[in-house]
Amino acid sequence: MKRLQGLPTFQELVSLAVRIITSRTFLEIVVFPGLLNILLSAALLTWLERKVIARVQLRIGPLYAGMWGILQPIADGVKLMFKEMIFPELADAKLLMLCALSLMLIAAAPVVAIPFGDGLVIANMDIGLIYVFAVISLFPSVILLIGWGSNSKFSFLGGLRSLFQQVSYEIPMWLSVLGIVMLTGTLNLSQIVKAQQNVWFALPQVLGFVVFFTAVLAELERIPFDLPEAETELVMGWMTELSGVAFMLGFLAMYTKLYLMSALITTLFLGGWLGPFTVPQPVWFVLKTFVVASIIVIIRGSFPRVRVDLLLKAGWTRLLLLALANIFVTVVLILLGLDWVWRV
Amino acid sequence: MAFDSWTLMLIFEFLLFLGIFPLLIFGWLMSAKGRNAIRDAPFESGQTHLGEARQRYMMQYYPYLIMFVVFDVVAMFLFTWGLAFTALPFAQDFLFLVFLVILVAPLGYALYLSGKTEVW
Repeated sequence: MKRLQGLPTFQELVSLAVRIITSRTFLEIVVFPGLLNILLSAALLTWLERKVIARVQLRIGPLYAGMWGILQPIADGVKLMFKEMIFPELADAKLLMLCALSLMLIAAAPVVAIPFGDGLVIANMDIGLIYVFAVISLFPSVILLIGWGSNSKFSFLGGLRSLFQQVSYEIPMWLSVLGIVMLTGTLNLSQIVKAQQNVWFALPQVLGFVVFFTAVLAELERIPFDLPEAETELVMGWMTELSGVAFMLGFLAMYTKLYLMSALITTLFLGGWLGPFTVPQPVWFVLKTFVVASIIVIIRGSFPRVRVDLLLKAGWTRLLLLALANIFVTVVLILLGLDWVWRV
Repeated sequence: MAFDSWTLMLIFEFLLFLGIFPLLIFGWLMSAKGRNAIRDAPFESGQTHLGEARQRYMMQYYPYLIMFVVFDVVAMFLFTWGLAFTALPFAQDFLFLVFLVILVAPLGYALYLSGKTEVW
C-alpha cells in the first residue's frame, strides 16, 4: 500500500518499459506476426505485383531503386507522403481521411488470429475463423462510405459495385469453409492447422478450396473480378478521389488484405506452418503465403474481366451451389468414417 | 502478463493507429495546398462535372438482396451445426440435411428459371 501512494521512481519506470518491450506479447504484436511483418509484406507485395505483372507482359518492371527495384515501395511511399491531398469541393475530406485510416485498421485486424507457427499467434482465439470473417465483412461498408463521401460519380459507382460484390461473395466464402469446421469440430485456426498434420484440406475439400479461392479473388476486387475499379470504366473506382497519404493508406490496405487473405488460404487449405523439412515454421508459412499471393497476381496478369451481371449471377447461383455441394461431400466423408485423419 | 484475446486485439489496433495517424498528419502538413476551381472539381475524365453524385442509381440487386438475407442467417446457423456435427447423433444431423435440401431446391429452381428467361 505504501508503494501505491508514492510515485514510481525513474529507474522503476525504465525497468517496467524494458520489461514490456522485451516481453513476448509485445514483440509478437509489434514485430513478427504483427505490425512490422504485415506492413513490410504489404509493401513487398506491391513490388512483387509490379515485377510479376511486368514479367507476364514481357517487361522488366521496377529496376533502379535498389537491387531489382526492391526499394520501389519506399520511393512510392515517400513520394505519396509529399503529394498534395486533393479532395473535391463537394467531398467530405474529413470523412475520406477517416475512412482511409479505418480501412487500414480493418485490413490489418485479421492478423491477430492467424497463426504463423505453433503458438506464434498474437491472440489464440477459439472463434478465430468467425472473427476473421466478421472483420472482413466490415470492408464493404467503409468502401461505400468512401464512395459516398467523395461525391464523385466514379467513386460512388465503384463503392456501390464493391458493396454488392463483396456482400454477394461473402456467403459462398463462409459456406466453403464449413466442411473444414465439420471435419475438425473447431473454429480455432491453430487447431485447424494442427488437424492437417497428415493431409492438407486442399485435398478432401477440393470443391471448397476452389470456391474459397474464387470468392477471395472477388473479395479482393482483383481481376477477373475487379469491377469496382475497372480502369476503363471507373478510372480507379472508389479510390478515384483519394490522393496523397489517404490514397497511400487505401492502397496499402488493399495489399494488406491481399497478404492476409493469402495467409488465410494457407492456414485453412494448405497446411499453414506445416512442411516436410526442418525449416522453421514461420518460414514455411510466409513462403506458402507469398506463393499464393503470386498465383493471385499471375491470375491478374492473364485473365480478362467478367461482366458485372455475370459476376453476381455466378456468385449466387454457381458458387453457392458448389459450396453447398461441398457440405454434402463432407457429410459423406464423415459417414464413411474418414474423418479420423483430421480430428484434433 | 496474460491478456484477453480482445484486449490484445485492441492493443494491436491502437499501436497500428499510433503508427499511421501521424502519417496522415504529416502528409496534411507537408503537402502543398492551393485551391482553384478546376483542381477542386470531382474527376470526370476532363468533363465539366454536373453537380452532386448522390443521385438514384439503378442497380437491379433486389433478388440478390432477398437471397442474402436468407443465406446470411442460414450461414451462421450452419456454423453452429457444423461445429457439433460429429457430437450429435446422426438422426439429428439428418434433419438439418433435410432442411438444407429444402433450401437448395428453390435455389436450383431459381437457377433454372434465370437460365431460361434471363430474369437476372
